[in-house]
Amino acid sequence: MYGQPEQEDFTMFKHYLITAWRNLIKNGLFSGINIFGLAIGLMSCILILLFVRNESGYDQWFEGSEQVVRLHSGFHMPNRPPFDTVRSSGRMMEAIKAFASNEVQSGARVVQQGLSVQKGTDVYPQDVSMVDGSFLDIFPLDFIEGSLETSFKRPMDMLITRDLAIKYFGRTDVVGETLTLCCVASNPVTLPVSGVIQNLPENTHLNTDLLVYMQPRIFADSPNILESWGSLNVYTYFKLRQGATVEQLQERVNYWLNNESPFKKMYEDNVGELPSGMQISDHVKLRIMPVSDIHLHAKAHAGSMGDLTPLGDYNMIVTFVVVAALILLIACINFMNLATARASQRAREVAMRKVLGASRRQIALQFLGESVMLVIIALLFALAAVELILPFYSQLLGRELHLNLLGDLSLLATLLGLAIMVGVGAGIYPALFLSGYKPAQVLTSTKGAESSGSGKLRIALVIFQFAISVVLIIATLIVYGQTRYSTNIDVGYRYDNKLILNVFYAQDRLDALKQELEKLPQVKQVVYTSDAPTQDRENNRGYKLLASSDGKAGQPDAQMLNYYSTDYGFFNAYEIEPVAGRVFDPAYGSDKVIRPETLGQDISNASAIINQSAARRFGFNDPQQAIGRTLEVSLYENQIHHLTIIGVVPDVHFRSIKFSIRPSIYLLREDRFNNANIVFSGHDIPTLMQQVEQIWKKVVPMQPIYLDFLSEMMAAQYAEQATTAKLFGAFSLLAIVVACLGLYGLAAFTAERRTREIGIRKVMGAEVSDIVRLLVWQFSKPVMLAILLGWPVGILLMRHWLQDFPYRLDNWWFIPVCVLAGLLSLLVAWFTVGGNATRVARRNPVHSLRHE
Amino acid sequence: MLTLNHVCKSFQTQDVETLALNNVTFDISRGEFVAIMGPSGCGKSTLLNIIGMLDTPNSGDYYFMNENVATYNETQLARIRKKHIGFIFQNFNLIDELTVAENIELALLYHGISEQERKHKVADVMDKVGIAHRAGHRPSQLSGGQQQRVAVARAVVGNQSMILADEPTGNLDSSHGEEVMKMLEALNDEGTTIVMVTHSPEHAQFARRTINLFDGQVITQNVRAA
Repeated sequence: MYGQPEQEDFTMFKHYLITAWRNLIKNGLFSGINIFGLAIGLMSCILILLFVRNESGYDQWFEGSEQVVRLHSGFHMPNRPPFDTVRSSGRMMEAIKAFASNEVQSGARVVQQGLSVQKGTDVYPQDVSMVDGSFLDIFPLDFIEGSLETSFKRPMDMLITRDLAIKYFGRTDVVGETLTLCCVASNPVTLPVSGVIQNLPENTHLNTDLLVYMQPRIFADSPNILESWGSLNVYTYFKLRQGATVEQLQERVNYWLNNESPFKKMYEDNVGELPSGMQISDHVKLRIMPVSDIHLHAKAHAGSMGDLTPLGDYNMIVTFVVVAALILLIACINFMNLATARASQRAREVAMRKVLGASRRQIALQFLGESVMLVIIALLFALAAVELILPFYSQLLGRELHLNLLGDLSLLATLLGLAIMVGVGAGIYPALFLSGYKPAQVLTSTKGAESSGSGKLRIALVIFQFAISVVLIIATLIVYGQTRYSTNIDVGYRYDNKLILNVFYAQDRLDALKQELEKLPQVKQVVYTSDAPTQDRENNRGYKLLASSDGKAGQPDAQMLNYYSTDYGFFNAYEIEPVAGRVFDPAYGSDKVIRPETLGQDISNASAIINQSAARRFGFNDPQQAIGRTLEVSLYENQIHHLTIIGVVPDVHFRSIKFSIRPSIYLLREDRFNNANIVFSGHDIPTLMQQVEQIWKKVVPMQPIYLDFLSEMMAAQYAEQATTAKLFGAFSLLAIVVACLGLYGLAAFTAERRTREIGIRKVMGAEVSDIVRLLVWQFSKPVMLAILLGWPVGILLMRHWLQDFPYRLDNWWFIPVCVLAGLLSLLVAWFTVGGNATRVARRNPVHSLRHE
Repeated sequence: MLTLNHVCKSFQTQDVETLALNNVTFDISRGEFVAIMGPSGCGKSTLLNIIGMLDTPNSGDYYFMNENVATYNETQLARIRKKHIGFIFQNFNLIDELTVAENIELALLYHGISEQERKHKVADVMDKVGIAHRAGHRPSQLSGGQQQRVAVARAVVGNQSMILADEPTGNLDSSHGEEVMKMLEALNDEGTTIVMVTHSPEHAQFARRTINLFDGQVITQNVRAA
């Protein structure tokens, strides 16, 4: 009879387990609602967790990573949209390293170039990282073939990763084998492989599988890459000395910027006197960011040009973590609500256990055990669901996510910890509530021992759940609406029926290429430009308005304008009509910018077209006033050009509407063409693509083709936002489903408790519809209150979110969105409660009336 | 008022089929006071439920005011019920969450009567049954006799022409029981048809006619001398 204590404990445990299991089975509906709801909550959490784990921990894979930082730049000039980028100029690295020698141990620049590798007759696109030799001091890469000491010592030494070695050679012992890169300094170069390195891990911001030890001489023709202060074309990394902090370096860099750097003079040359009280660091931003922060935090510095690899979005991650937590919270509330609502059913059990000697603690532990058991069952379902959903989820996010519990004990521990936390969190209130029953009261009373307090708490929790749902619906609708708005906004030009062909490596064959392309039956027009819509190179220069010959005043200071180079026919191809003057026209013969043959102070002339923003900047209220005026600019070193304004065109959204329109100038400058804009008609797109490719192969045989539909490039600008909208939609839906599950359970339970009342009402003449209305109305009140609470929160949050968009939905959109969100919640609640109410209302009242 | 013709009702519970009413035939005229008696389980309450249209017979015809309602659906039955029939139960069946006045008003709530008129009628009927001073109280604050008076008031507030009373005095002591019976008698005198199930031969004496039920069949019908 008296067993060992452990045996007793085990017997007790077994007994609890049996009671818990039988309760689970007996109350199938409630168990089902709880398990299903918790499973959805846990599934959301696991999905988000996997994403967060994937997004965090970037760039911590190498030794000393905590000491490695990158230099980001930004030009925040007065009266201009800021220009931010994670790049920097070629000369900053040496200058800062020298100035901050106490903080900086080593520095390296990366020039990332999209080149091609030629193997036999095949051409492969290949990103090439041209780096300073010190790159390997900062990023210690693992060698498979060769070594740090021998393989990366001389300019033009080349390292490739294991995967690349296998791609090009089918094996890894390839030191001494050669690859032909096209093009370096406009010429193909054949380089021997000097070492093979381990593949870089997935969680790095670097996009490096082919490194070349940079020979500065090869950029002699492009001084804006390494020899410039103002052109931001390189990625600059520093390794801090032991003990030096990011803040110290930042402070040092700011001091250098304000006192030693050439930016002050550049500012004065381009913009004018620095206003008093302002420092150069108010306008030129040099920011130091630890590499481990780059993936999640560099977006704020990246502007429209992005980074080496797609950046993560810290705010989005935080948002989704909150959303997942809210869904789980809603599921926990369901559990609490249903457990306390059903409490009276278990009051007798509690009372009997107490009579038989159980302590309150034992009973509380029993109920806690039950809730943990329920959560663990839910966790199993959640894991199964995650397995099913993961492929689609990964695809949507564009990430490789895996769920491998056995191989990832920390994840397993995290999930078990989460389950226990949720079980205890959701179970603690019901456990305390139930274990607090006084046996004498319960056993002698014929009614349930329900207090009105717990009923009010349940209603409050339902209000909370639905308020969350309303906020999520509003958020979903606004994100979706803003995405639609972004993609449907009138950008000011026609972007359909256009192909963009990259011609950067075909500079010497542009005429031949154009001739061939225009022969194609479906091609209407081919126009060369420096940039195609969505591309953004931030080419800025200072342009000074000169006084006119008839005495109109000029401006003393130059205006920074972004400039595009376009060929004849550009405005025609994009159907942009000038608001004043004309567009470039070969008939005039004087529009082209021509590079002067001789160096000297001679002034060359050409034509320019400006947009309306630029016209306003020069003080022309009427665009017509700008026509015929002259701008002075230095387009080539030590050369002055005088540009006659021949036309003013409307402001168009050349880049994503996430960024504002800049004052811009269009020049006809042939040495800057990067893209062929191919305007086509007709519908046989596959044939057209094939024909363009054939022509490319014929005219530019040794280069891979980069050919894209402009409409797809435009859509891609908003792909990330569309993904966010989809995710938001999916998780909001889950939140609402879980909230409705709880409402269903509670409604079912309440209807059960009101059976006698319903019977009386029916006898008094109430019809089924009267009863349904009664029950539905009972739950409409809390839902309506939830809607009233959810509206202001949703509006506040989403107005804040919209602040980031220069072009955004008007405020009045919140009215239909809020109304829709409210109606949706109410309808869903009615539907949830109504079905069960109808069932209850149809019951014959006879049985409930005879006995109490 | 109503006629039952060969009414049968059986209940199916698991494997056993119980015949609650077996070929019951009788009619009740307008203004009658009928008592139904018989031992427990003889089918009294089932009979009352069918008369009150809370339940439908398996076979046979039920003419209520010359309409055969045996085949009517729930909504149709509810409409006839609320217009013509009032109910009184042994356990009162008042709603605890509502006040006395609200409980009585419930019987008018589903009749499409304006609120003002409802209040008026409720006040009248409370005066009539002598419960006006308790209008704002909850049922749990009243004695059994008072609760049953509220139930009676509720049964007649809509000017129902027939009252079905299921052991109206079963939960009351003798003096309160007497009081309720007198109230029913007074209503009958005013022309209301009353059908009452009771165990008490004494209270059955208030009825003009007694129908004795045994095992679901009508055994005897006694008519009290006027």
